Amino acid sequence: MIHMLLFLISLCGFTLLLFATARHQQEWLKRKLPVRTALQAKVGGLTLLVLALFVAARGVGWAQAPLFWCGWMSLCAGLVVAAQCNRERLLRLLERKQR
Amino acid sequence: MKEGFRQSMAWLHSWMGLLPGWVLFVIFLFGSTAFFQQEISRWMRPEMSGQPLSVAALDTADALLRNKGANAANWTITLPEERLGDPVSIEWTPAANSTALPGKGVIDPGTGKPAEIRDTLGGWFLYRFHFDLHYMPWWLARYIVCISALAMLIAILSGVITHKKIFTDFFLLRFGKGQRSWLDGHNVTGVLALPFHLMMTYTGLVTLLFTLMPWAITANFSGEDAFYQASTRAPIVEASGKPAPVLPLRLLSARAETLWHGQKPVYIGISNPGDAQGIAEIWPATNGMTEPRRPLYLNAATGALVAMGPESGPAEQTERVMIQLHRGSFAAPMLRWLYFLSGVTGTIMVASGLVLWTVKRRAKLPDPDHPYFGFRLVERLNIGFITGPLAGIAIYFLANRLLPLGLEHRADWEVNSLFIGWGAVFAWTIARPVKQAWVEALTACAALYLLVPIINAATTGNGLLPSLLAGNRVFIAFDSIMLAVSTALFLTARKVAAHRPKAAPRRRTAPKVAAEISA
Repeated sequence: MIHMLLFLISLCGFTLLLFATARHQQEWLKRKLPVRTALQAKVGGLTLLVLALFVAARGVGWAQAPLFWCGWMSLCAGLVVAAQCNRERLLRLLERKQR
Repeated sequence: MKEGFRQSMAWLHSWMGLLPGWVLFVIFLFGSTAFFQQEISRWMRPEMSGQPLSVAALDTADALLRNKGANAANWTITLPEERLGDPVSIEWTPAANSTALPGKGVIDPGTGKPAEIRDTLGGWFLYRFHFDLHYMPWWLARYIVCISALAMLIAILSGVITHKKIFTDFFLLRFGKGQRSWLDGHNVTGVLALPFHLMMTYTGLVTLLFTLMPWAITANFSGEDAFYQASTRAPIVEASGKPAPVLPLRLLSARAETLWHGQKPVYIGISNPGDAQGIAEIWPATNGMTEPRRPLYLNAATGALVAMGPESGPAEQTERVMIQLHRGSFAAPMLRWLYFLSGVTGTIMVASGLVLWTVKRRAKLPDPDHPYFGFRLVERLNIGFITGPLAGIAIYFLANRLLPLGLEHRADWEVNSLFIGWGAVFAWTIARPVKQAWVEALTACAALYLLVPIINAATTGNGLLPSLLAGNRVFIAFDSIMLAVSTALFLTARKVAAHRPKAAPRRRTAPKVAAEISA
């Protein structure tokens, strides 16, 4: 349960951070988001990552929380990087679904 | 001034990463397997029932020792830990003036029967190799490992300073762009698991604390023995000459558990068994993050407490937490997987860093067809030290299944096979042009890892299909990992084979900017 929560929160956090940079917005959305929205994504992403630490502490105590937190952050950031690498493929897949 | 600082850090990072890089790759690779040491051991001993330690096993050990080691000076009993990779193993050593021979035996912990379990070092060797290396004295190996780890710490810190766009380029990984791709790969694997890399390098140094800083002992104790004596409180008791039978092992074990408030024994050593003053030295399994590690010394005949190791002070407790953080043996399966994946990331980081060193310099070679000696040396060592150990580990697993069960020194030959395989890959790749060497060695590794589940299915009843049907998790996971590693290596080989290096474009930028780009 705690693992699932940490996974979801960290994944959402890093996804928001991905969309906080102009280059990635252009690549994924084919347009730039307004500065305000990008800032919100950045703050939101960082907040989620901090939240994950507290969730981990709630679940397994402060002694082991950093370990769980770092582990899941590494994995989720890795997944976001993997998605970013396969961006073209993923976008094509999404397009096909929309049709 | 600022540029100068970053450039000097980049220089430091290149050389502190390269020189111990090959040792670091081996440490990371074998260290990553060590998170699954018990599971690997379990796979490598397919004859074992895989059930937890039973009282019957203790009784069998007891009976065997009383029968065969009747007049021995020492008995030792090593018990399996919770994750069940190891059998119960017993040894007896005769007194120095006796003509009797020493002996040993193994017992299945579940069934409690003396078992014909193949002679293997299992996952323990892979774990041990990551800091004691092999074919050399352990103290020399530990110095090498210590120096490499110190260099790694410097490389990590200087790497963070060098990689200035750590946040803007966080998710950046571009394929098919030559040097940039290698740099991105190195950055991503380095940054994603950065907390892990830092923690592992630092706590790894803590595990070798007394190799690095022996002075705390030499300044306060007359020698290592005196230090050991003070830290364990081991009593020195001479044999009385009065016979008295040893208490049954199950009672000694239960007594220890009570005295420790529930910790289970993992090692029992009995000196002067059968004497009224015989001593049973018992050590607990310590897999929890903060579990105490206090040895017990009981009178072997009566079970009375003779001495108990001292309670640890804050310094020792801090050290223990750091060591446990490094070993990760307290981690439940999910967390252990995270440890393992981070370890794999670290292994890829070291490998990509090593390759990056050559890729970066290749573009600047005055004559790309005839590189200078140092360049060729690094290139060859990279191939031999990255693909060699990968092939070696697969061969170690294959040897476990293929070597005859009755072979003398079988466990040693499994280990030798690992290094023969590694050496063979090294020799082969030296004889081939660089690109072919990479492609062929990686393909060979992929084939070897693919062979592991096939040979396993052919030689034991624990193939992937029967394991799936029986729900035998360790065997399913092991074979699946072998297949995954094989696929990953095969894809890498294909990628390398398809790669056409572009002619290095001459940059028209000022040297300062060029240096910045390459950093």
